[in-house]
Amino acid sequence: MRELVGQYLAQTISRRGFLDNLKAAGLTVAAAEGVLSSLNASAQSASASSPSLSPSGTSSASTPAPVRTFQGTGGACFAEQLIACGVKYVFGNSASEDAQFYDALVDRPQLNYILTPHEGPGAAMAAGYIKASQQPAIVMQAGSVGLMNAMGQIFNAYKEQTPLVVYSYRTDQSKRAGRDGFEEIANQEQVVQPLTKYSWMARGSSMIAETVRHAFKSAWTPPHGPSYLTWHSDYTEEKTRTEIIDQSHFDTRMRVRPNPSEIEKAAQMLLDAKMPVLIVGDEVYKAKAVDKVVRLAEMLGMPVTQMRQIWANFPESHPLWVGNAPAGTLASITWPKNYDLAINIGNKMQHSGVAPMVARNVKFIDMRMDYQNMGKVMSTDVPLVGDVALGLEDLIAAIEPLMNNRIKAAAAQRATEVRRYTENARRLLSGIVNNPEWNQSPLIADRLTWEIAQFADPNAIVVHEAGSVAMHSFQFNPLGGRELFYYYGGHLGSGVGTAAGVKLARPQQQVICLVGDGSFLFGPHALWNMARLELPVITVVYNNHAYAGPHSRTVANAPSGRMIETGHFVGSYLGNPDMNMASIAQGFGVRAEVVKNPLELRQALARAKAATLEGKPYLLDVQVARRGVGWTDQPWVPSSNTIKAAAHLAK
Amino acid sequence: MAQSVAPEATPSVSAPSGRELLQSKCGQCHTDSMWRDQRQDSKAWEATLYRMMGRGAVWSADDIVSMAGFLGTEFGPQVPKAKR
Repeated sequence: MRELVGQYLAQTISRRGFLDNLKAAGLTVAAAEGVLSSLNASAQSASASSPSLSPSGTSSASTPAPVRTFQGTGGACFAEQLIACGVKYVFGNSASEDAQFYDALVDRPQLNYILTPHEGPGAAMAAGYIKASQQPAIVMQAGSVGLMNAMGQIFNAYKEQTPLVVYSYRTDQSKRAGRDGFEEIANQEQVVQPLTKYSWMARGSSMIAETVRHAFKSAWTPPHGPSYLTWHSDYTEEKTRTEIIDQSHFDTRMRVRPNPSEIEKAAQMLLDAKMPVLIVGDEVYKAKAVDKVVRLAEMLGMPVTQMRQIWANFPESHPLWVGNAPAGTLASITWPKNYDLAINIGNKMQHSGVAPMVARNVKFIDMRMDYQNMGKVMSTDVPLVGDVALGLEDLIAAIEPLMNNRIKAAAAQRATEVRRYTENARRLLSGIVNNPEWNQSPLIADRLTWEIAQFADPNAIVVHEAGSVAMHSFQFNPLGGRELFYYYGGHLGSGVGTAAGVKLARPQQQVICLVGDGSFLFGPHALWNMARLELPVITVVYNNHAYAGPHSRTVANAPSGRMIETGHFVGSYLGNPDMNMASIAQGFGVRAEVVKNPLELRQALARAKAATLEGKPYLLDVQVARRGVGWTDQPWVPSSNTIKAAAHLAK
Repeated sequence: MAQSVAPEATPSVSAPSGRELLQSKCGQCHTDSMWRDQRQDSKAWEATLYRMMGRGAVWSADDIVSMAGFLGTEFGPQVPKAKR
């Protein structure tokens, strides 16, 4: 093994050869990739301190290591700057105009190219990797046409504030642009401008490295978000001379503390409040500040809730956790109703309705880096712009000396009251198993979720893209327990790709991907990546052959209408013929099966677990009951004759 | 804003009707357009209400039976569909 590592670091053995040898020594592909990944980090730091010559470019050792001059093709400059940015994975789809970049990868084992068969799920895989590892990566597509496929996931990254860096070349060459050529559109970078923090076209091959740096700096400076870079394809082929600068020398390290006088105000308001409520959000998870937010809640005996986010940001089994706000407003939590102050720590507070998420008559403290969204809808008594980990430290430090015996007693009394509610709530919610349809076949979705919650490892990661499925019974706990990766953006087709990226980043944790059949069909392609890279994810498709969420909302939005009267729901039913997701998975090289009842489910989950222990992904297509108005048993299907007749009439 | 205390501490004066429970509990998140076009018996309504527990509805079995009884009467299989 030591000899093999030495050969790899000395570049006398290729990446593939290294992996093959590790596999021959008994390692799974995932384990071998893990070894490779750690070696690449070493190789990367070594290359930063002593630039090496390579066939596709030359470095000058005369400049200081963090800032060095490099000469080579634009593609090689691109690769060098990515390495200097700390990138280990490039997620891409085949593109002939990037030939010089591919050529540069051959001798740069620090950069691992992951070929993704569709740009959308490929970008989702990159975003999943970034979210789970908090490490930089890049996703690339073929020109404007590939970009169009990736844009849905760029949208998600924008809404979710994921630092996804996206590149695609311009097919048109610099001296022939503007002729409406093949794949050419004007101002390609402007297409994604509303979805990105930074969007730029490099104006020459010598500007490639600098543009890459700007993109990474922008994406990774909080609040995070995607960035996009492009250039004419001939720049990638052109020889040039440029500076390569390490991330450490252009990163702004923006970890700022909130205004100290506002911290003092917030502390006093919290102490004066009779029933303060704490809202948590994704900045808590990203800042690794869950323990701090727990400490704040415990100091003041505050009930804690959360509105729609990606992660579970507070331990759900904690006695102060009163549950998610079901309708996305503070008013929709069951208890308490007598709150007089709300403090938000890191929630993006997505306003989808007219009413403010926190009522106007409730005092509101808002702590987050996301300054653009502060004060947009809510009137804010105390804005605390800053890194929430640092802000929590400051707030706790400001509160602690003011905690006299009277305040401590009030907080303890409040904590007792909250605990009494949460204990009762947990007892009642466990009654979900008393649903009279619990043992039915096909399964009700809640039964499936409950069974998976019984099955999942204590530290499993659940990637959830089943929009109409309620996520109960898992007791998520970001402090070393089960973790949730939900979706905030809403461009569907991200689940399978995200799960693949998460597993790549966290090979030691069980990853379970829960998707609806509708979501799954938008982006199953990363199953192939799971099979190829041996990323042992368990994917569970809630297959009710329908778009259940839109159906329910359609009924609510057009009550007592013609759809209800006739049962003609034109946009809901996906059956007849029924799609077989297990067959789709098998086509991608993933073992899979269809599950029809609760007994089969437990056996199938056991087979799935056995497969993952061998390093193989597995998919369960679980037949789930449809429930709701007008379609439980025999949903309406348009007559094919009617559709064809309409075509004849048109003629 | 109405004052409230933890539910277990609330002394029971008189049990609210199924209609009242429906308005206070389901009304936290929905208008009646979500359910008024459904026609099914009380048992099926019970299942519908249990589905809300997975979404965080903190309801007792008695509450659910009471609401399902009301819904099964007002929106049962024999009740004609509402007209616009």
